[in-house]
Amino acid sequence: MNGILVGCMYGVAAIGLSLIFGCMEIVFIAQGAVMVLAAYCIYWMFTWTSIDPFLGFLVIIPIFLGFGWVVYTGLFQRVAKAGKNPSLLLAFGLMVLLEHVMSLVWSPNTRTVAASYSASALRLSGIIISFTRLMVSIIALITTGLVFLFLKKTMLGKAVRGVSEDMRAAALLGISPIRVSAATFSIGIALAGIAGVATAITYPFDPYFGFLFSLKALIAVAFGGLGSVEGAFLGGIILGALESLSSYTISAGWADAVAYVTFLIILVMRPKGLLGRSVEKV
Amino acid sequence: MENHLLEVKNVDIFYGDAQAVRDVSFHVDQKQIIALVGANGAGKSTLLNAISSFNQPRRGGILFSGKSIAKLKPEEVAAMGISHVPEGRRLFSRLTVLENLELGAYLPNTRLFLKESLGRAFDLFPVLRGRLHQSAGTLSGGEQQMLAIARALMARPILLMLDEPSLGLAPIFVRRLFETIEALNKGGVTILLVEQNIPQTLKIADYAYVLQTGAVRMEGRGEGLINDPNFQQAFLGLMRAKK
Repeated sequence: MNGILVGCMYGVAAIGLSLIFGCMEIVFIAQGAVMVLAAYCIYWMFTWTSIDPFLGFLVIIPIFLGFGWVVYTGLFQRVAKAGKNPSLLLAFGLMVLLEHVMSLVWSPNTRTVAASYSASALRLSGIIISFTRLMVSIIALITTGLVFLFLKKTMLGKAVRGVSEDMRAAALLGISPIRVSAATFSIGIALAGIAGVATAITYPFDPYFGFLFSLKALIAVAFGGLGSVEGAFLGGIILGALESLSSYTISAGWADAVAYVTFLIILVMRPKGLLGRSVEKV
Repeated sequence: MENHLLEVKNVDIFYGDAQAVRDVSFHVDQKQIIALVGANGAGKSTLLNAISSFNQPRRGGILFSGKSIAKLKPEEVAAMGISHVPEGRRLFSRLTVLENLELGAYLPNTRLFLKESLGRAFDLFPVLRGRLHQSAGTLSGGEQQMLAIARALMARPILLMLDEPSLGLAPIFVRRLFETIEALNKGGVTILLVEQNIPQTLKIADYAYVLQTGAVRMEGRGEGLINDPNFQQAFLGLMRAKK
């Protein structure tokens, strides 16, 4: 179903959001705006150089890792000591800034990235799947797998998990929470970048999509539970499926409403999400 | 003027306007077991947290190997060679036993000896080997304490600080705990032990400081304190305070 494939994109952005929340304890509301920024990058890259947008995924990753690192060390690191509110405000400000700058510089008109094969579709057991969406989902799956491996197998990944659980305990072991947060933030931004490229390839977009995407990513995280990477991705898929289902069965306009209502229900009935873990200090 | 490994000099520590520590001075020399004993609220944990640079004394200074820790961040203090097992252990409960231990050797110079350090951890606490891939949160209280200490040792510290390691442990574990601490010390680890369990602590400590409401009320050699009538009075006072 197309919904699941779309959900994969939400999932990737959601993982970024979840990681950032784990280390910095704030909801990075600008995640969607960063996605849109990446979408524009890929749009211009494609328009000027005709490089295949799929290669854009590879290009975007180092650029956005760097961008994330700069934003963290330049901005967030400075307010880290002042508590969570300044950081939240900073994220909000970043979102507003990005949206408006993009709108000014690149005009509020909708853009699409149309590669030669954009319109092609595959037929799998009676279901028609757009080629682009399939590729995007595969990339999303691979990305999630890589993030999972990173967190599980590398020292830095384990440090990220440690810091997100207990910053003090990590510091006592010589782990610098600031450095780990910088790395986590950069990864979160890179993930938003990947989701942004995916968006550019699949949908038309404009500078103000950002907030909506942030919201969807947040809902995905809530579905899957805070603190769980697999959960965030799963949440994204569920959201995508839910939207798609409502689109077919009710109408497109209701799709969003259904998503938000389900979000509220989950928050009330199972605030931990499906795979979330409760916070326990040992 | 002797050179002490750790020197705490005339330290005042405040939480906002409330004074938690008043004019406390003590020192730890290499190869010693030094104890800070006292009831809840005596300021013991506050002092350890100050040494780890989680709070800043308003007055006085803390020196490690002759260098002031005043401007350091907690992770830098750890990198100097001080390992602190905090009150309540603070394990990464969502990570496995092995991952907790590995993070103990996160610092680059300790990571080189990871395998060796793991081996030593298992020699000391064989039960951990059987639980390597379990989440730390699923371990029993005694096992968690062992893991916390093992994790702190992975960094091969010069000074090991333990904050109330016997808290919440069954008596048989407590005895084993103190035996382990003694064995560690014999193996060359300098230990600063904060405890409410006074009898067993004084038995193994080279020197102890008794804290009450943030100030040092008495100090002396472990064995000597137990037999000191003044101490017994203060000790009984503490026992009454606990009840």
